[in-house]
Amino acid sequence: MRVTIAGAGAVGRSIAAELLEFGHQVMLIERDPDQLDPHEVEGAEWVLADACELASLEEAGLESSDVVIAATGDDKVNLVVSLLAKTEFAVRRVVARVNNPRNEWLFTEAWGVDVAVSTPRMLAAMVEEAVSVGDLVRLMTLRQGQANLVEVTLPADTPLAGQPVRQLQLPANAALVTILRGGQVIVPQGDDALEGGDELLFVAAAEVEPDVRAALDRHRT
Amino acid sequence: MGALEAYGHVTARRGTAVVSRYGFLGNRRPRSDRVHVVIMGCGRVGAGLALALERLGHDVAVIDQSLQAFRRLGADFHGQQVRGSGFDRQVLIEAGIEQAGAFAAVSNGDNSNIISARVARETFGVAHVVARIYDPKRAAVYERLGIPTVATVPWTTDRFLRMLLPGGVEAAWRDPSGTVAVLQLPLHEGWAGRTVGDLEEHTGVRIAFIVRFGTGVLPNHNTVVQADDQVYAAAVSGTVTDVTTMAAIAPQTTN
Repeated sequence: MRVTIAGAGAVGRSIAAELLEFGHQVMLIERDPDQLDPHEVEGAEWVLADACELASLEEAGLESSDVVIAATGDDKVNLVVSLLAKTEFAVRRVVARVNNPRNEWLFTEAWGVDVAVSTPRMLAAMVEEAVSVGDLVRLMTLRQGQANLVEVTLPADTPLAGQPVRQLQLPANAALVTILRGGQVIVPQGDDALEGGDELLFVAAAEVEPDVRAALDRHRT
Repeated sequence: MGALEAYGHVTARRGTAVVSRYGFLGNRRPRSDRVHVVIMGCGRVGAGLALALERLGHDVAVIDQSLQAFRRLGADFHGQQVRGSGFDRQVLIEAGIEQAGAFAAVSNGDNSNIISARVARETFGVAHVVARIYDPKRAAVYERLGIPTVATVPWTTDRFLRMLLPGGVEAAWRDPSGTVAVLQLPLHEGWAGRTVGDLEEHTGVRIAFIVRFGTGVLPNHNTVVQADDQVYAAAVSGTVTDVTTMAAIAPQTTN
């Protein structure tokens, strides 16, 4: 796969390095000559240019990229690069980095973004997952908001202990995908019993999340 | 907050601050004609635009990230000044974007201008939205997406050329991207009796129309140029000077 990354700062470079390891072809576009370091990411093609300038993207042959990753530290640049990649070069998949959560709402197909990656939000979700017990935590959004990966860690004294999975009465458009228990990954069958300390992973449509929560609370006295 | 005391009336909250708000005084424009205009960018153009619109009797709100920039508006400006990012929803709402009939994006950044212009139009449904864009190629992309742009660089370049070189011609019309213009082409008298096709080949322009005895004529290749014709040509920006030079000298004898 040919991947173009706009922005060769720490984030752009680390993405490039990983993609190269997987055997993809990588092109890095960077505006600042001080950031140019071909030795650090060997095997990648480096282009010194402003990724927002149409002429530069034409010269770099962006239309032959399978994926464009807008990884700069400037949300405005990332939006514009995504838009140009989609509308002018018909790039199949555009991934954009969101720096400021206040701008997250902009990163949609309207700006050519297929996948938005918001580091602050991911960090917050990871922290929440680590610290909250008993609450439903949203880990990740899938397919542009159609469904979410949500997690709940059952407290040690959960009233659900001993209850079979089939009694959970989950709503439609929600599925209990996995139970994580003491280092084991369990694919839940209807008769399996839940235990205190179990980490339950669901995939659920956003609108039924409250119903999932209700299903878990139902057994509380 | 020493620097802000000069304004006297400032209440600043971090991130989005309403610096001042006055009602418009002594307005003679009827309410029904008045438009609420939001301007992003309080540089020279933004400030000039704001003051001009206010003189015309409209309601103006100006957005800028820097408090210093608002100084350009002067003490007579009675519109709203909102500090913050021009594509932040909260900032735009504070500037009254929901009631706005027009939005001008004139900050010094192409990206900011285009993002805020699209947000104004597509998220808030503002009827008239224009963005200033420095990069002419990007301007063409945004025009295609339906955002009218003012492309500063080709405009300025052409204007300079016309003023720097003697015998310059004024463009009758220029398209928003600044890349093409329609201008009246003064012709050497030797062109009378030659065809429009000849003229086009010689100068590299398209003859858009001819005004002959006060009437507009749409020519084809074979239309013969007559003495006293006012010939209007469509030309690519940057070639205007060359074109006018060539048209002003006698055509070569037919080969």
